[in-house]
Amino acid sequence: MNSLDPRVSRLPEIGKPGVILPKIPLDQFASFEVFVQPREGKPFQHEGIVHAPNIDMAYIFAKENFTRRFTCTSLYVAETRNVYVSSTTDGERNAYDLVADVSTSGVNDEYEIFHLVKRGKQHIAVGTVMAGSPEEAMSTARKMFNTKLVYNIWAVKRSNIRLTTPEELDLWTTLPEKRFRDAGDYKGGDKLKDFLDKQKLTS
Amino acid sequence: MYGGGNTFEGVKTDSVATEDPVLLAEFEARIARGEKIEPSDWMPQLYRKQLIRMIEQHAHSEIIGALPEGTWITRAPGFKRKMALMAKVQDEVGHGQLLYSAAETLGKSREQMIDDLISGKSKYSNIFNYPTFTWADCCFISWLVDAGAIVNQLANAKGSYGPYCRALERICAEESFHLKYGHHCVIYLAAGTQKQRQLFQEALNRWWPPMMHFFGPSDKISTHTEVLMRWKVKMGTNDEMRNQFLDMYVPKIWELGFTIPDPKLKKNTGTGLWEYTEPDWEEFKRVINGGGPCNQERLEVRRIAEERGKWVREALKSAKTTYVTPLA
Repeated sequence: MNSLDPRVSRLPEIGKPGVILPKIPLDQFASFEVFVQPREGKPFQHEGIVHAPNIDMAYIFAKENFTRRFTCTSLYVAETRNVYVSSTTDGERNAYDLVADVSTSGVNDEYEIFHLVKRGKQHIAVGTVMAGSPEEAMSTARKMFNTKLVYNIWAVKRSNIRLTTPEELDLWTTLPEKRFRDAGDYKGGDKLKDFLDKQKLTS
Repeated sequence: MYGGGNTFEGVKTDSVATEDPVLLAEFEARIARGEKIEPSDWMPQLYRKQLIRMIEQHAHSEIIGALPEGTWITRAPGFKRKMALMAKVQDEVGHGQLLYSAAETLGKSREQMIDDLISGKSKYSNIFNYPTFTWADCCFISWLVDAGAIVNQLANAKGSYGPYCRALERICAEESFHLKYGHHCVIYLAAGTQKQRQLFQEALNRWWPPMMHFFGPSDKISTHTEVLMRWKVKMGTNDEMRNQFLDMYVPKIWELGFTIPDPKLKKNTGTGLWEYTEPDWEEFKRVINGGGPCNQERLEVRRIAEERGKWVREALKSAKTTYVTPLA
């Protein structure tokens, strides 16, 4: 290629221009849902997704993509297929009204429960329940957390979540020093004023 | 950056006629009430199709938009500018990821979107088919192309599709750094030597026509988008967006003592609208269809990156995880 950018000109020629070689199966990595705790004491909230070949890499990608500037106190990820989802409702219909009753199994696995309380906003963690299946977790959550109108509920088994370990909590401590990422570090006002004053003098 | 000048297919409203009238009425009432549509909700095929198209174009624009600026990282003047430009380019690529995810919730896989970009089937913002000859070109993009993108993105963030709005809120917050940084760069060129001023003036002359193209074809010739406006897919007409940009940034360019290469450009104090020479829409069409100075290079860089990364993806593949459509 003949480019203004010498690094582009040096790129090796691979395949035919415009033709993508066939992809291998699983080229499409799994998707993982990302949850962030914005401040100490605040609940975790859903932020978006990342694609990754495994949950540990998903955690690293999530840290890069979602906490690069909006610093946080903690982060966790769970594979999308491990998130159990209720029906979505609207208006005055409560999603909990559509959750079926499941009798207690006596199994004590921990499940994290998330609520969507306003359409267009994020799902927010409300707490943990003990259950033997996601259906049972939803049913138990209805007894414990059904205090106001919610439009959608998620349940994720805690053992399927990649949590931030205590040793990793210092991941975000370097961010405040990266001032060059902040809009506040680019104050051109004084320079602009000097320039405009000089213009006035010369004209 | 960079959601701008989207091209919409000619909207065939008859496809709406085949939708279930009860569901369609509920859908429209929800949007009229100002509620967001979430991925699991029923939506008309046309809504889904046009949203995928728009969000996908926006995502591609972020990824391709990182190229003309990225090329200047090693040559940016001084360590601080290099760090800032690197952070900005990283942001743009991150925005691309956020947007691909939002489009995926509508049912098109990221893999497919990337393939469609490389094969030339999907479009991206036309402005990135032009080269950045000098540092001043790079500053023009950082300040004014980002400014134009923010005008579009702030409008789109009020749209009807939940995942897209959430991605845009995040993106807009990060853009404030880009805009401040870009303005800072241009102020330093303006207040610098005669040569620096000339460098930016030349960049402005080169980039003004593509900047006017950025918001898409004039309302007089653009395809019928009434239904997209009603469904809050498109939040303003191309001319409205262009006018808002001119209103906010022409005074700031003039303040720095630069001239804009359009003798007809002035604000009509009666209507409050800007008057300008009609951009060359034939040129716009030619470039969007592959005839611009950098179209081929941009796609080749992406394609070669994709091919070169293949062995990494192969090494990482694992049968323990599976792709499913993301939730929100």
